[in-house]
Amino acid sequence: MTLKNLVKTVFLTEIAQGMALTLKTMFTRPVTRQYPKEKRPAMPGFRGLHGLVRDQQTGEARCVGCGLCAAICPSKCIYIYTADSLDHKKIVERYEIEVLRCVFCGLCVEACPYSAVVLTEHYEYSDYSREAFYMTKEKLLANWDNYMGWDKNMEYFKKFWHPTADDFGFPRNQAVFRGKQNAR
Amino acid sequence: MPGIIDTLLYLAIILAKILIVFGAVMLHVAYATYFERKTIGHMQVRLGPMNVGPHGLLQPIADGIKLFFKEDIIPAQSDKPVFFIAPVISLVGALSSLAVIPFFDEFVIADINVGLLFVLAMSALGSYGIILAGWASNSKYSFLGGLRSAAQVISYEIALGLSLVGVMMLAGSLNLSDIVRAQERYPFGMFLIPQIIGCSVFVIAAIAETNRAPFDLPEAESELVAGYFVEYSGMRYGLFFVAEYTGMIIMASIGIVCFLGGWNGPFTIPYVPFAWFFLKLYVLIFIYYWVRATLPRYRYDHLMSLGWKVLIPLALFNIVLTGILKIMKVLP
Repeated sequence: MTLKNLVKTVFLTEIAQGMALTLKTMFTRPVTRQYPKEKRPAMPGFRGLHGLVRDQQTGEARCVGCGLCAAICPSKCIYIYTADSLDHKKIVERYEIEVLRCVFCGLCVEACPYSAVVLTEHYEYSDYSREAFYMTKEKLLANWDNYMGWDKNMEYFKKFWHPTADDFGFPRNQAVFRGKQNAR
Repeated sequence: MPGIIDTLLYLAIILAKILIVFGAVMLHVAYATYFERKTIGHMQVRLGPMNVGPHGLLQPIADGIKLFFKEDIIPAQSDKPVFFIAPVISLVGALSSLAVIPFFDEFVIADINVGLLFVLAMSALGSYGIILAGWASNSKYSFLGGLRSAAQVISYEIALGLSLVGVMMLAGSLNLSDIVRAQERYPFGMFLIPQIIGCSVFVIAAIAETNRAPFDLPEAESELVAGYFVEYSGMRYGLFFVAEYTGMIIMASIGIVCFLGGWNGPFTIPYVPFAWFFLKLYVLIFIYYWVRATLPRYRYDHLMSLGWKVLIPLALFNIVLTGILKIMKVLP
């Protein structure tokens, strides 16, 4: 043991350095976010609770029931039931998402040719029952109204989802549905 | 019959003193937990308790109420009489030491002439509570905690006692008030400078004696869950907590009385004779938390080798040194 080390051991210099560090830290600003009181704003592009886009003209869901989202969904948690109306138009009877099975990959949003399904920035949706997480069409439209809306959506979509709704083309980095046979 | 009246008056004064000290210490224990959580929280860049009352100020009261009304679970395979009595032994050991501590001049419940010895004896007795709790719970974690506590207390009791021998030699008394008065003619009115080695040994041994981090092997959350009181719940668990924090206050008080000049300060504060004592107490308690927030737990064999191979020889050296200085009349 050299003299320097001996002095270090006897006067506990390393412990003193550690103590100085903790004392210094004590007077820095705590990083705690007091969650229910101060909420953390979601980062742009955050993939939260699902919503169905409400069309500005008709006030109805923009979804046409093509089923691309259900087809691309890796956890197969989107259920779409369509029917013919009296004037032989295709109507979406039910559009349901089982949120508890969703992995929030966002492929449904990328796949949708009409930009009709979105992931909102809402993330506080805990509940006591599983039923509350089974999203029906009405609930999904309400999610759109409450948590997304058009203003936020435009910026959000243009920036992160590269919408195909405008030109129906296939942007280069977009997940493309090629039918079930060719999927792999 | 003036004799009886005098006796009754004397008893009434003693009772009043006991109530005052007990109340003050219980309040300090409650807010020591709050102070600890806040201090360590801020040292870890957190906030600590914030929700009960402004800045969480009512947190200890909420904790107390919660502990009091919690279900009292007694393990079926436990040794019941011992299980019941263990927390009480722990608490009695801690609380009875309060009787001999002079909080300010002439304010001490029992001004006995073996005060220091009494405190050491009581802190040793308190560790029986821990050992018995570990044994009676009939759980391997508690038992390990109890065993560790037994070994640790035996090792560090010696260093603690020896580190105070230098103080006894300088003061020539075991009475705590006399020890404080003996310090008045020393630099800063403290034994700190002539007894610097003894004080260092005492601080380390006192932390080990009260089972605080970094010597909290009997509790060792990460390895023994909670050590000796794993099986305790509700108010019985609370009693161990009160005992631990009272023990901290006792050890800090002994440190103040023996090394830091007791109730004396650089100048007298009028009307609050206990101000200096409590100020020093808070600083020492803060150092407990500060050390806890900084240092990781000692390994078991390191703990033992520190106690037996470093602290005890150091304390013995301090005794010899103090004796030589005393004989050579370097120290008054």
